[in-house]
Amino acid sequence: MSLRLILDLIARLALWLLLAPLLPGIINKVKAWVAGRRGPPVLQLYYDLARLWQKHAVLSTLASPGFVIGPAVAWVALAGAALLMPLGPAGSALSFRGDMLLLIYLLALARFCTAWAAMETGSAFEGMGAAREVSFAVLAEATLITALLALCVQTESTSLVTMLAPAAGAGAVLLAAGLFTVLLAENCRVPFDDPNTHLELTMIHEAMVLDHSGPPLAVILHGAALKLLLFSLFLTEAVLPLGQLSTLAATGALVGGVLAVTVGVGLVESLLARLAFRRVPLLLTTAFLLCLFALLMAWKGGAE
Amino acid sequence: MIQTLLLISGLGMLTSILAGLRAPKVWLAGVLAGAAGAIGAAITILSTGGEWNSYNSAALGGEAIHLRLDALSALFLALVGLVGGAGAVYAGEYWSETAHPRSAAPGRVWWSVLLLCLGLVLLAANGLHFLIAWELFTLAAYFLVTLNRRSPEVRAAGWLYLTLSHLSALSLFAFFAIMAARTGSWELKPLLDHPELAPLFWLALAAFGLKAGMFPLHVWLPSAHANAPSHVSAILSGVTLKIGIYGLVRFSGWLPVPPSAGWVIATLGVASAVLGVAFALGQHDLKRLLAYHSVENIGIILIGLGFALVATQQGHAAWGRLALAGGLLHVWNHGLFKALLFFGAGSVLHATGTREMSRLGGLWRAMPWTAALFALGAVAISGLPPLNGFVSEWLVFLGLFDAAIAHGPAAWAAIPAIVLLGVTGALALACFAKVCGVVFLGAPRSAAAAQAHESGPGMRGAMLVLGAGCVAIGLLPLLFWPAVARAVAVWQPVWASPAAPVPLVALGSAHLALAALAVLAGVWLWRKLQRAGFKRALTWDCGFARPTARMQYTAGSFAGIITEWFAGVLRPVRHESRPEGAFPAAAHLAQHTPETVLEYFATPVGGAVQQLAVAFRRFQHGRVQSYLLYLLIGAAALAAMVFLGGNP
Repeated sequence: MSLRLILDLIARLALWLLLAPLLPGIINKVKAWVAGRRGPPVLQLYYDLARLWQKHAVLSTLASPGFVIGPAVAWVALAGAALLMPLGPAGSALSFRGDMLLLIYLLALARFCTAWAAMETGSAFEGMGAAREVSFAVLAEATLITALLALCVQTESTSLVTMLAPAAGAGAVLLAAGLFTVLLAENCRVPFDDPNTHLELTMIHEAMVLDHSGPPLAVILHGAALKLLLFSLFLTEAVLPLGQLSTLAATGALVGGVLAVTVGVGLVESLLARLAFRRVPLLLTTAFLLCLFALLMAWKGGAE
Repeated sequence: MIQTLLLISGLGMLTSILAGLRAPKVWLAGVLAGAAGAIGAAITILSTGGEWNSYNSAALGGEAIHLRLDALSALFLALVGLVGGAGAVYAGEYWSETAHPRSAAPGRVWWSVLLLCLGLVLLAANGLHFLIAWELFTLAAYFLVTLNRRSPEVRAAGWLYLTLSHLSALSLFAFFAIMAARTGSWELKPLLDHPELAPLFWLALAAFGLKAGMFPLHVWLPSAHANAPSHVSAILSGVTLKIGIYGLVRFSGWLPVPPSAGWVIATLGVASAVLGVAFALGQHDLKRLLAYHSVENIGIILIGLGFALVATQQGHAAWGRLALAGGLLHVWNHGLFKALLFFGAGSVLHATGTREMSRLGGLWRAMPWTAALFALGAVAISGLPPLNGFVSEWLVFLGLFDAAIAHGPAAWAAIPAIVLLGVTGALALACFAKVCGVVFLGAPRSAAAAQAHESGPGMRGAMLVLGAGCVAIGLLPLLFWPAVARAVAVWQPVWASPAAPVPLVALGSAHLALAALAVLAGVWLWRKLQRAGFKRALTWDCGFARPTARMQYTAGSFAGIITEWFAGVLRPVRHESRPEGAFPAAAHLAQHTPETVLEYFATPVGGAVQQLAVAFRRFQHGRVQSYLLYLLIGAAALAAMVFLGGNP
């Protein structure tokens, strides 16, 4: 491994770490704006993270060290997935055939670790949250793999850099809609989950972290922000033809795309109510079908 | 060299069979020497390629003894040696003389017989000897399953296993006999120039598929694996199922196959994978759940083999090589992590006396080693990086993706297979999040779980060896690639090429970095908390401590969302009495998922066969007059045939 690669990875990691917590701040600003409130500052999550990092933690009497190690490993997995993601004109630091599968399974590893940490406390709420998370993820993962397959068929490649460079072709709108739905589900946003809810029985992600506090909670929150940025980037790069633009234009399009997705999440959150749990699989199945149609269109395009 | 190693192996196993009844230490030494010899011979073949043959003048059943070891059989032989050796160490403590005075000694002997016969099946180059070894290992496995035969459930499970194994043996008899009749020799060798043998593939599929636990022929598997002693479950699940896979791979490479063979195997593989894990989610019995996961993993292996057959049929497409390599690597991987998980389940059973997950919980405190190693196995079987399960699933996935990109007819099968393989992975993750959480985390749900104890050094050592194997294949996949590539080259010589077609170096370094950083981050965060000091408090759960730890989320509730999606296939049975009135009396809810194929298909068919047999028995009643009448009718019928049929 050359020094260049290591420096590149460190620079990328720093960028991800610093930028990720911005997104939840923007979403909250949008929500406040729609509701006519002033809302928390955009940098609120940074303050929260700094404060939590310095706090003492309270652990459940039942919890093993896995309660703390789980979130740490989940964060490493998410950061690893982030590093695999190409950044538009900057390309990817580590690209190889099949890296897209590693990315999906790193997200799965993060999910396993979060679910493990949730089960540590023995709380029924956390068990419920973990059960919902891993169950809905089955459909979300099927959708995500179908979306990847559409991009693979479109570009005849299985590495993210080449898959994400051109536009998604005829199925772009379908793919965008499907991926946006998965983004909402995987990041526990309305209409799947409500990050602001205070009723444990209706929560998914928040129910899993009820008993976490202090530095482990900071790690979990930062990991969630990383995941949100990762999905926004993936959606933007899948749809926009960043590979065909000049460096400046591509950077602009990338930033603009991520901002648009973030504002979109905020608007959805302001305008929609959350779904009943029975409806969640239905919506995810719809997202799966959207991606499946995108795949079929990519298939037809390739056959000509 | 190989001759010597195999001789050591054989002598070790024979010694252990003789010493098993009286001298446990000699037995253990014999088994370990046998395992080491087998592994050594397998590694020699796998690292150099080539083939070893031994022609003896001695004959058995009128056929000269001919043994052969090539890269394909060596791949399986290494697994037999590793799991067999680890299982022997584990069994010394788990099924000890003091705990099981009646069955410990026969258990040792049958263990050695099983290992020896498994080895002979892999080495036999003669159909007759293959059959003899096959039958003997089935019998040895039957006696191992029923070691604890005082329990009626164990006897029933053993009976089902024995019956269905013989159904498999029957197909295999037909398979070898027809092959010998057509070719004029029992010799097993490539017979690709006999296209008329292609239909025999269906017999082989029935025989080997039954043994491998392929859906829907898996009906014997859950009860046999759940009720056997855990070290036996480990070898049954980790190794003997793979002998079925060995048969399929071996003879689909040596014999011509019908054009639809690959599609059928791939379809059955996908069905096994998805339905295996769906059934696993519905289980409450820890070992039964693990048994269903074997069906799932056999499915993943079959997907690899099926697509390799399709690729061969379509002119040796390169993606077939990836799919088969993934499937064959998964043979090793599943052997390692499934044996590890069964050893873990055995430790839990040993410590608490129950396999019911609803009575367990909080075991990490008493059994930290078992909990950590079981978690490792759970991550590996869920196909998560950086462990071995991901490497083989990644290879299969890449083969399928390439097939989809190639736009050929195979793409129509590859696309659904990719999506369903992804779904299988996510379902397996859900299932193992449930198992780990309910069994090892939280608060103990029963007194037995609260008083659990860690298992001894032998059991822990066996688990450590298998866990180390999972980590090694995960972190250094390139080291194991040549072995798998040589086995693939035996199956399909066109695909022989030393270079890995996929960036295993990149994957390996990513895995290494991930593993190092994960360990570092975990330790660092835990240390930071310890340095800063943390408080312990009750779990916040709207009043967690009262009234009972059984208020925790159960395995059934955890899997409830998903099992509801599959309710049409799983057909869960519910018994409930709801609380009613202002002062409700005792209420209860029980739900269990039966073996649907067994209850709704195999049992009725078995019943019908039995009734037919009973009806025929009426002819056999001991009255001589009637027998004379039968003779008369028979003679009359023959006479009528001669008169009406004319001269031949």
